[in-house]
Amino acid sequence: MTKLTQWLWGLALLAFAWAALTMGALGLELPFPCQEVLWPLPAYLLVSAGCYALGTVGYRVATFHDCEDAARELQSQILEARADLARRGLRF
Amino acid sequence: MATGTDQVVGFGLVAVSLTIFTYYTTWVILLPFIDSQHVIHKYFLPRAYAVLIPLATGLLLLLFVGLFITYVMLKSQRGTKKAQ
Repeated sequence: MTKLTQWLWGLALLAFAWAALTMGALGLELPFPCQEVLWPLPAYLLVSAGCYALGTVGYRVATFHDCEDAARELQSQILEARADLARRGLRF
Repeated sequence: MATGTDQVVGFGLVAVSLTIFTYYTTWVILLPFIDSQHVIHKYFLPRAYAVLIPLATGLLLLLFVGLFITYVMLKSQRGTKKAQ
């Protein structure tokens, strides 16, 4: 089974469980606060996943180490390449 | 460590995502268990908006992504037509 099918199976199972509980199909008498928490749960999980993604991206951007030596080396290599190509007749 | 604007933008994003997460968690998970006469309910919209606002935002995002893709495709098409 591919990873995609695994994910889809897992999501389908969770969706069915949520639908069964929200519509009272299992005949359980959940206390009212629990019902109130249950029905927005998919939206809540999506928003949390989005917040986690945003936060991780922001944190990695903020803590990314600058590599001064590599940057300087890369710039000099770019100049070298431009000179070489210009010599061979390539117009920029 | 990254410098200047990178740090500001990065930590700003972290702060924004934490704020949204805490507010939304309080709204969806904690409020049903708090007595309905408590003053904290004044700071939160009716519960239906907890699903409607993310849904509307998601649809708007999809709209912008679609418009951007359309714009890029039209621009590249016009570019090749000019080359012909």
